[in-house]
Amino acid sequence: MSDPLEPICASGLQFFGKVSASVSHELKNVLAVLNENAGLLEDLSLAAERGKPLAPEQVKRVSENFHKQIRRADDILKNMNRFAHSVDRFSAEVDLYELVSLVSVLASRLAAMRNLTFEVTKPEEPVIFKSNPFLVENLVWFCLEYAMAREGGKDPVQLIPAKKSGKIALSVVGSANFTEGYPEHFSGAAAPLAAVLGATLAVDHGNAELVVYFPDRKK
Amino acid sequence: MRVLLVDDEVEFVSTLAERLSFRGFDVDYATEATGALTLVGQKEYDLAVLDMKMPGTSGLALRGLLAEKSPELKFIFLTGHGSEKDYLLGSKESAYYLVKPISIDMLIAKMHETMGGH
Repeated sequence: MSDPLEPICASGLQFFGKVSASVSHELKNVLAVLNENAGLLEDLSLAAERGKPLAPEQVKRVSENFHKQIRRADDILKNMNRFAHSVDRFSAEVDLYELVSLVSVLASRLAAMRNLTFEVTKPEEPVIFKSNPFLVENLVWFCLEYAMAREGGKDPVQLIPAKKSGKIALSVVGSANFTEGYPEHFSGAAAPLAAVLGATLAVDHGNAELVVYFPDRKK
Repeated sequence: MRVLLVDDEVEFVSTLAERLSFRGFDVDYATEATGALTLVGQKEYDLAVLDMKMPGTSGLALRGLLAEKSPELKFIFLTGHGSEKDYLLGSKESAYYLVKPISIDMLIAKMHETMGGH
């Protein structure tokens, strides 16, 4: 009999790999922009050496591009660092809004490839529970992947963390029919992952809404 | 040489276009497939440099659409990815597959090679 944790471990590594690949791609893009701007600065210096006056606004534009890309890389690395540290503790307090915001940012490049964006609604009161942060992130990722495979509308997919009748809930709301491919997508590693977390998933057919319920554990 | 650059990274593609223009190329750029198809409908290009991964339409899919409109158009793929899978796909399309960041001299050399020059 195979180890029931095997699919969870494999899924966790795949998840980590996908995020790392996406982040490295983003950083490559940052480097490409910096490379072109450094090259442009070189071109402008060479032209100045040949007697063409250097336009201050061109230099200013290049400098702004550098600053913009540095801020972008800093944001990417901060998010990657937060994500990498989510494996530090097996059990910790999870702020669902913060966690979903992080996962949606990590998935944003993949979503953009499908002309899709995510919008996370900040709850009036913090939605906090005790769980394994990395495994919760992995289950949220499964939900976002599911939404990405089905959505194609202009409006952002809404991610709404909330407390619902004594449970912690994350609603994924979009215009697509979330029943299509639902059993297949969540029958693989997502099912044992949800079981380990004590989470349950449901689809509200009428509202095109996928809901994940997490137990409201405080310890 | 009339060159069309297509990449969703606007700061990258606009700066590269500017640098190629300094070097005497006739360059236009688009940041997505629809813009690229519009430009190819308006003007004849010799070469298109395409990003592999773009929102909506991939570089490979765009190559097919552009080639339908302009059968003589030659292609170079430029990407940040550099995965083996992408390389094989790009190579099968009989086009250069270059990984970002790239030196402009290397790009220009490949552009001339693609056009059959030296």
